[in-house]
Amino acid sequence: MSTQKASRIGEEIWKTRIDKVNAELVTLTYGTIVAQLCQDYDSNYQEVNKQLDKMGYNIGMRLIEDFLAKSGVGRCANFRETADMIAKVGFKIFLNVAPTVTNWTSDNNQFSLIFDDNPLADFVELPDDGRAQDELWFSNILCGVLRGALEMVQMQIEAHFVSDVLRGDDTTEMRVSLVRYIEDEMPPEDD
Amino acid sequence: MAAPPRHSTMLSISNAGTSQSTGTDRTQVPQSSSPAQTSGLRVPSNRKTIYDRHLNRSRNAELSRASFAYLFGEMVTYAQRRVTGIQDLEKRKDTPSASVCSTYSSTAPPPPPPPLSPAPPPPRLPPNRPLRILSLLHLIHGPLWRLLFQRAADALEHSVSAETPNEYMITDNDPLVNTYISVPREMSMLNCAAFVAGIIEGVCDGCGFEAKVSAHNQPTEMWPSRTVFLVRFGESVMEREKVLERAGVK
Amino acid sequence: MLHPDWLLDPRLDSPRDELASCFPVAFQLARTVFSLIIINKAGGLIYQREFQAGLRKLSTNDYLVLAGTFHGVHAITRSITPKLPLASNTSPAVSSPGANTPTTGYSYPNPGTPASGLESLETEKFRLTCFQTLTGTKFLLFTDPTSGTVDTVMNKVYELYADYVMKNPFYQLEMPVRCEAFDRHLGAWLRGRT
Repeated sequence: MSTQKASRIGEEIWKTRIDKVNAELVTLTYGTIVAQLCQDYDSNYQEVNKQLDKMGYNIGMRLIEDFLAKSGVGRCANFRETADMIAKVGFKIFLNVAPTVTNWTSDNNQFSLIFDDNPLADFVELPDDGRAQDELWFSNILCGVLRGALEMVQMQIEAHFVSDVLRGDDTTEMRVSLVRYIEDEMPPEDD
Repeated sequence: MAAPPRHSTMLSISNAGTSQSTGTDRTQVPQSSSPAQTSGLRVPSNRKTIYDRHLNRSRNAELSRASFAYLFGEMVTYAQRRVTGIQDLEKRKDTPSASVCSTYSSTAPPPPPPPLSPAPPPPRLPPNRPLRILSLLHLIHGPLWRLLFQRAADALEHSVSAETPNEYMITDNDPLVNTYISVPREMSMLNCAAFVAGIIEGVCDGCGFEAKVSAHNQPTEMWPSRTVFLVRFGESVMEREKVLERAGVK
Repeated sequence: MLHPDWLLDPRLDSPRDELASCFPVAFQLARTVFSLIIINKAGGLIYQREFQAGLRKLSTNDYLVLAGTFHGVHAITRSITPKLPLASNTSPAVSSPGANTPTTGYSYPNPGTPASGLESLETEKFRLTCFQTLTGTKFLLFTDPTSGTVDTVMNKVYELYADYVMKNPFYQLEMPVRCEAFDRHLGAWLRGRT
């Protein structure tokens, strides 16, 4: 499936099949979660990153069902197709953005998502405490979401942010690597 | 929450005589309203910051209801986890669910504490801030509800009891936050819309109306998740209300 | 997709056809849905419900056994899916010791789609349709065999599950589904109300 086709599918689902809410409700809810974590973990930002990732993982394991039910797409033929599905369908129908897929490694197992827009970070400025801009990945929940969602469709991946405009970087970039395809309960092929 | 007392400005209007409180307010204003100038934060060279985009850019923007549901669900789970972990908090409450509720309320009021989001206060309310209780409640019942949930609340009532003139009720027949949630039977006291109660409380406080807001299940056959938000204004608010009444302020 | 006996079935007289044609699709389909079973990844029964009054019920234990057995049979049907020799493999019948890397030499009839396992099972009296999601959860619908495809019902059931089960923070993954809102919406939709 081509990137263009994935984009069309994403657009179509977003327009016709998605219940919407005010974007600010989502943004502020997420902001509240991060703020609460920063408070509860005493601005230990490494810990906050970890908690956000964990929350995202929990979300991902549930969100994948909605993704599959709404999109009706089948299994991807390869990891490149998976990347397009994530960027053009997944992010589109849940966050109304379609990050760019780029920087593939030659083995096709690693790529980057570049976010032009990030609704989770609207209104946000990191704390001016000399550490947050070096330590906190504000949108880290998204890494967990991808990890959780893909694990449920038998892909073990690793995801982390490498840059964020909130930190003063010029782009917001997430790096996604395929670790392995998880064998399902299918008996091993023997013949 | 460590947020500065946002109702202090209001006090300066209602009790114009006490110049002291006004003085302290003024000194607070510059440091909270202009973080950009004093900030040591790095900004992207393309200046993609909150100060460089239109304030209302996302006002009419939409996101999926599912995304909200997942985030809200995680908040509920997180609050539950914290509550069982913090035993002394639990002891002070009658039921675990009550403490979950109060945790939400303390978690809830947007905007989040200053450092992370000093930008606009969430409900971009009309320029004229309400001075009287009724205009405040109409604002919450109508514009705030529409902003957050795309429709007005279903009812706004005043307590009929002479003993509790400070109690008001806002009813939502089908709170958006509860759309996908089924509370287990053993926790039937819990209403996750306590989150919304927190928002209402935050808005009241932000407008200078000290209030306690709680969420209560009032299901009907037609509206199984019907919720009543009980707003109880503080004594200072009630007294001010009397003064404003006499002064003919609307 | 129609049952072979459909055209000859004396029960399908014209009044019923007329009746059916005046109701929305969901309603027609709903009339024919007997029950729903949901089986988790490990083969455990997590949901069972009838949609018509007065159906004779099995015991809870029987349902658990049914779910586990179906899960096993489903896995077997996947593993016995016939595999064809790859086109490039010119002489598959002749096995040479050098070509002893069998898994690369064979493929499913339609290599693009993985083997699915049992999708439907039909008797004179009912049809069982199984839909396994990519995450491994199975939805089993028991329907009237004279009705057409149940795709619409199945998709809607999956969507309701994604909404009212998976978005409920009080639902623990892989555990029995006790979500009042799911029951309510499923019932309402199958009755053709929403």
